[in-house]
Amino acid sequence: MTATLIDMGAHERQADAPVDRQAVKDADFSAYMSARQPALYRTAYLLAGDHAGAEDLLQNAFAKLYLSWDRIRDREALDGYVRRIMVNENNSLWRRAWKRKEHSTEVMPDTGVVDVYDDGMGGALWSFVQTLPPKQRSVIVLRYYEQLSEAEIADVLGISVGTVKSQASRALAGLRARAPQSLNPHQTGEDAR
Amino acid sequence: MNDRPLEEQVHDALHRTADPLDRSPLSVTDVRTRARRIQRRRTVAAGAAVAAVLAIAVPVGLSLVDPGQRSEVPPATQPPAPTIASGIVKVDPLSAEAVEQAPVPLLDVDGPALLQPDGSTVDLPGDYEALTPYGDGWIGVAINDAPGVPWSTIEILDADLEVVNDPVATGGLVVSPDGTRVAWSEYDGTQWRVRLADAAGGPASDHLVFPPGPEDHEVAPIGFVSDVEVAATQNDGRGVLSTFVGGGDSPGALPGPVEGRSASPVTGVVAGLKGSQDGRACSAVVEGVADAGATLWETCDHVLGPISPGGQYVLGSDPEADAYGSPTLTVLDAATGEEVVTFEAALPPRTAGGFATQLAWAGDDAVVARLFTGDDSAMMRLGLDGTVERIDVASSGASGLTVAEPG
Repeated sequence: MTATLIDMGAHERQADAPVDRQAVKDADFSAYMSARQPALYRTAYLLAGDHAGAEDLLQNAFAKLYLSWDRIRDREALDGYVRRIMVNENNSLWRRAWKRKEHSTEVMPDTGVVDVYDDGMGGALWSFVQTLPPKQRSVIVLRYYEQLSEAEIADVLGISVGTVKSQASRALAGLRARAPQSLNPHQTGEDAR
Repeated sequence: MNDRPLEEQVHDALHRTADPLDRSPLSVTDVRTRARRIQRRRTVAAGAAVAAVLAIAVPVGLSLVDPGQRSEVPPATQPPAPTIASGIVKVDPLSAEAVEQAPVPLLDVDGPALLQPDGSTVDLPGDYEALTPYGDGWIGVAINDAPGVPWSTIEILDADLEVVNDPVATGGLVVSPDGTRVAWSEYDGTQWRVRLADAAGGPASDHLVFPPGPEDHEVAPIGFVSDVEVAATQNDGRGVLSTFVGGGDSPGALPGPVEGRSASPVTGVVAGLKGSQDGRACSAVVEGVADAGATLWETCDHVLGPISPGGQYVLGSDPEADAYGSPTLTVLDAATGEEVVTFEAALPPRTAGGFATQLAWAGDDAVVARLFTGDDSAMMRLGLDGTVERIDVASSGASGLTVAEPG
């Protein structure tokens, strides 16, 4: 994904004027949030699979970013920081265990958004992606939505490039296994029945 | 019928799902509220360091010698009782007394080099995240960033630092607290196993052999639970770690499951994660040998890490520690969970930082940890008697120093 460049240094350039550093921080942080929240929310949604989970992931990641704001001097690295926190938190066993306990309600899961031009396969694939183990799902989202390289994914997840490849391969194999009729171009409708 | 490659279909499906979403549900107030909650938890927990601690238990005697002198090293299983502080000890690298020698071996990451406590330096042939004496040379966890090569491999080096084995994927290595044994995991292309050997040299033997499985079902040794037994975790491929003890080709998992972080051969316990409460990870100390899996005590205020060589203490980190480390490091009584002393990073206003992920026990009376303060870092010796020292050992580059021996 292409990051939007944001002018968050305007306050710093007014070096001669007395400034409230907290106000400057909040203004800069607010500018970043306004510019990047919709895009990062989309990634959070793909990772979490529902809106409540996406909001929780994003809020936590933004909060940790806020606490670390003064430390991160490379403003182009901000998206990566938020993404890293979201992915790793979503992959956490303990968080998943908590989510199962706290959100096991009768409410139907979010169905996402279905494009009117979708032949139905997009929705089906998305539902299959949601069944992948968290780490495989993270790899799929980072590779095919965020379009990160394998090396970049390895860095985000803290795993080797080889493991990224194996996770991606296993995820795609899993998707093929779940939807063999429609995803295998060599399989006919007759076969599918 | 759809003839397009699956990768392309997945790409399109994800974009169809997400691209129409144009939501900004969070305000800055929401974020600041959550941030304050995180900060409050850090304060309440008043404890600990390190999100993912590499447990390191290094007897002082061992760290002072080279491989050839190992037999002269006295075991550290009965250390002298230190004077113990209590409450909170502020850790400020700028005001701390400076010492020029580290009590444990350190890795100069950008060298790369091993800096020994006696002041000598060993230039290394590659990057290692852990290194310990083995035979006449060394055994280490090498870090590789070349495509197609496992990220971490086990390497055995002779006295001339020549690699003498075929490097294979590993989940890490551990050293017994008395320095006499070393264990590591290997993946042979088919299955994972934990290997065990005398640190003085000699052949390695299989200690734990896991059923055939993929490489990403990684096995990582976490520590010795007795003189001859090693505990190890295995990832089930979905990110769930279980802890295995025992031996042979049918290792048994501790019930829970327990995601072990460290173990003690003195007390036979395992410390690790075991559940959650209010969204926070909770930790426990459980029996690792007798009545394996029985919980001795639990805490949701600390993420437990390394156990001291004598088994008396366990380190705990802040459950809310982030990528910049933990603001505190708490020493807990390993038998009861009672907080003994907390080291708190003295960070300037509006500066992120904390204790980083690799730390080491230096005997039973001190911890060596790297403390980040903004963009700066310093290796610190934190005495259980409340003394705080800055270890002024130069490093080659911005990556700085890290402790060398996992335990």
